[in-house]
Amino acid sequence: MSIHTALVKNEEQKISIEKAKKFIYSDDHGAESIFVGRVRNENSGKKVTAVTYDAHDQAVVKSFQSICKDAKNKFDNNAKIFLEHAKGYAPIGEISILIAVGTGHRDEAFKICRYILEEVKHQSPIWKKEHYADGKEEWLPGHSLRPKKEVK
Amino acid sequence: MEIQIKLYGSSKMLSENETLLIKLPENSNIGHLREGLKKLINEKYSKNNLGNLPNSAAFFSEKDEIINDNYQLKNKELISIIPPIGGG
Repeated sequence: MSIHTALVKNEEQKISIEKAKKFIYSDDHGAESIFVGRVRNENSGKKVTAVTYDAHDQAVVKSFQSICKDAKNKFDNNAKIFLEHAKGYAPIGEISILIAVGTGHRDEAFKICRYILEEVKHQSPIWKKEHYADGKEEWLPGHSLRPKKEVK
Repeated sequence: MEIQIKLYGSSKMLSENETLLIKLPENSNIGHLREGLKKLINEKYSKNNLGNLPNSAAFFSEKDEIINDNYQLKNKELISIIPPIGGG
């Protein structure tokens, strides 16, 4: 098994960097690249206290698998890939996304990591609601999945 | 006909429930559903900054596949609304 993907419900468990490192380790690999996305305390001048992630679970899992398989085909078929994204309420500092990649050489490791991050943002149905210090909250704008030829 | 819309992201502002029931004329398609949503938002949710949602959202069938505006809806069908995404 060379690909692990999951949507992690924050109320039940937390995304673990150690688990990711263990998964991608291989004696064949000379490079590991790990990207950790965290909830930060500011966005566009607003003081953020937390983020709630919503997701279409089945479609997200399907898209994660497809993105990781594409990444292997594109860059390195021997890569080991770990991809998890949080769902639910996440306070400041909490991990929102973790991508870990093990490959033979550094170039593929970096490329796969970046490729997966950008594709998740453009393919996986996940939404972000920010909670602010003044008590307000807001769903953030994003990338439309509506077929381009239909958009007026 | 009646369509159940499963709500995600910003569309959750349209109801406190997980789904929203919307009534449409017989033989409606996704294009008609967009029009129905536009009307509903203008009438009841104009202050929620959701004006662009009917145009920018995609819709998923029960098989979790994107369906286009010509997709013919069935009575009582469950459709997911997919507002613009932004994970990571």
